[in-house]
Amino acid sequence: MQDVEIALSHVSKKYCKSLRRSMRYGLSDISRNLCRMSSHSNVLREEEFWALKDVSFEVRQGEALGLIGANGCGKSTVLKLLNGIFWPDIGKVAVRGKVGALIEVGAGFHPMLTGRENVYLNGAILGMTKAEVNEKFDDIVEFAEIGDFLDTPVKHYSTGMFVKLGFAVAVHCDPDVLLVDEVLAVGDISFRRKCFKRLKELRDENVTWIIVSHDAGTIQANTDRVVLLDRGEMAYVGSPEDAINEYLYSLSLKRVTPGSNAAQVVDSRSSKQSVAADFEVDRVVLLDKNLCEREVFATGEPFAARIEFTAKKKIEDPAFGVVFFNGDNEICSESVTSFDGVRIEKLEGRGSVTLKTDSLPLYSGVYRLHLTVRDGSLAPLAEMSHAAYIKVSGGKLFSAGMFYMQHSWDIELDEDRIGSAPRAV
Amino acid sequence: MTETDFTTYEPDNSLKKGYRSLFSEIFSELNKSRWLIFQLFKKDFVALYKQSFIGVLWAILLPLVAVGTFIVLSGAGVFNVGALSVPYPIYAILGTALWGLFSTGLVASSNSIVAAGPMITKINFSKKSLVIASMGQALLAFFIQLCLVLALLVYYQVTPSPAILLIPLLIVPVVLFTLGLGFVLSLVNGIVRDVANMVSVVVTFLLFLTPVLYAKPTTGVLAALTSYNILYYLVSVPRDLILYGTSDYLKGFLLSSAVAFFVFLLFLAVFHLTETRVAERV
Repeated sequence: MQDVEIALSHVSKKYCKSLRRSMRYGLSDISRNLCRMSSHSNVLREEEFWALKDVSFEVRQGEALGLIGANGCGKSTVLKLLNGIFWPDIGKVAVRGKVGALIEVGAGFHPMLTGRENVYLNGAILGMTKAEVNEKFDDIVEFAEIGDFLDTPVKHYSTGMFVKLGFAVAVHCDPDVLLVDEVLAVGDISFRRKCFKRLKELRDENVTWIIVSHDAGTIQANTDRVVLLDRGEMAYVGSPEDAINEYLYSLSLKRVTPGSNAAQVVDSRSSKQSVAADFEVDRVVLLDKNLCEREVFATGEPFAARIEFTAKKKIEDPAFGVVFFNGDNEICSESVTSFDGVRIEKLEGRGSVTLKTDSLPLYSGVYRLHLTVRDGSLAPLAEMSHAAYIKVSGGKLFSAGMFYMQHSWDIELDEDRIGSAPRAV
Repeated sequence: MTETDFTTYEPDNSLKKGYRSLFSEIFSELNKSRWLIFQLFKKDFVALYKQSFIGVLWAILLPLVAVGTFIVLSGAGVFNVGALSVPYPIYAILGTALWGLFSTGLVASSNSIVAAGPMITKINFSKKSLVIASMGQALLAFFIQLCLVLALLVYYQVTPSPAILLIPLLIVPVVLFTLGLGFVLSLVNGIVRDVANMVSVVVTFLLFLTPVLYAKPTTGVLAALTSYNILYYLVSVPRDLILYGTSDYLKGFLLSSAVAFFVFLLFLAVFHLTETRVAERV
């Protein structure tokens, strides 16, 4: 068991919405502290809110932790607390060793200074000594790939060059703990690859890192464990795959479920169960390949949706329609019995209709199932805009496309050209 | 590995430590930050003068204009500079040079935290270094203006006292006093932006209230005020010592220096205890 390097225990942090009150609170907190009185930071004052609430986790030496969550969920606040830029209002933050933070690349850069001067300045701000910067200077410049622009003021740099230089300085300051906040999104692909290679090297040197990103791929490929934050609270801690799925669910669930505005605006029809009094949908059940009820499905696995109903009088030639909506309220797929040439002559009493597929073509996220039942004259019998929610976990397949195609591969090796790469056909 | 390897942050973090360990903490931080202070000073300097034709010469031009104004005003009889035993330009320019340590230094240091912008909230580094580095501009301007004074001494064939060699020592009290005020004002300015504007106004006002460009009046309200004006002693006694080798207000100078030193230490401690609190409100 390796040592704990970072520990947050029940950490909360509040912010103030109003600038004017923030000024007043700031002055009063400072005055109280100077008189050696507590600022009672555990109590919310007017117009304050918890940006982070009761967050606890530990990171061991050499571990890479990912932080994900929607904008404003408190990811950057966690990094700032770890870096000691802010103090927590409740709880305790403990970090061991030298912390290097890439919360905003080039935050310490001055536009008028040349690249060379900024390397020294930024190195100093990040806590390096003059000797250290001198020693690493060539490495930094080489890593940043700025070449001839070394003696040009950085205000003439492109965004990418700026980020490269900032990143280069930060990863060369020999931290024990590295905090990286969504900064790599700016560089080009080859530079990003280089950054991650460097991060991996640091990890081999037992550097602990915490990385914040919206990019599921980045998180998945580079972290051991992920903390999902939702509006300042810890929503999930676990493996990158599971945490990302949780995140994607939470994102689409917010948009898919009733009460969220998007769903209401687009879907103005009521989600009323039955339109006709003599027909009632009892329930809609989601089933796996063993016909067991389930909530979460994997991309590409067999899936079925069973619609159980009661018809109080005889209904002739009905049609069942099932539409899948994604989190953006776009139609992903529509299946209607009559379109498929499936004819149901009549219904009476209890029964069920089941839609089946061998391979669920949906990627990670939550999908809304919309159900319509009509009789032979196309008059609606039942209309349910939120008949069911399907959680799909793509595993390692993150929405790398619009839908998942059921497929297989054949590999043929050309005997005459041994040594050439296998060809996929 | 023991518990002590950990840096911990808790609510009201500054309350954990006693006032006693405070100064050893502060001075070890400052000692570690020497190079950072120099880099920050260099940044300020380059930012100020790089895209400018005459560059640092602005440091000479501004006091010349101020002194010129006084010469014109006194020539026109609007204003009486009082009886002086050295040529007025030497007296006035040496005075403004010393005064500039306070005025330029205070304006720069009270703005230093706000001027650093996003750096404050994105990187954890020694914020004291920012304030101290901002004093660098004032010191640089002072030494440039001192060259002008030397040129004038040669021109008017005035021999200064040997105390001129003690200049680095003589300016310590006014620099510490300015830094002390700068520490606390930069913090408050981080929260309430009115401070920076207020400082500019007050500094201009103080220049007229303090006998820097004119001799100390012997009677009236201003004379009474001046004898309690700590800045008068801090600026004018070093000037007297440089020009005449002696001063009538040595006792006042020593007392003021003690006050300046106390102000510096007190506000340095205040700064140390509250800098993190301010970071979140900048």
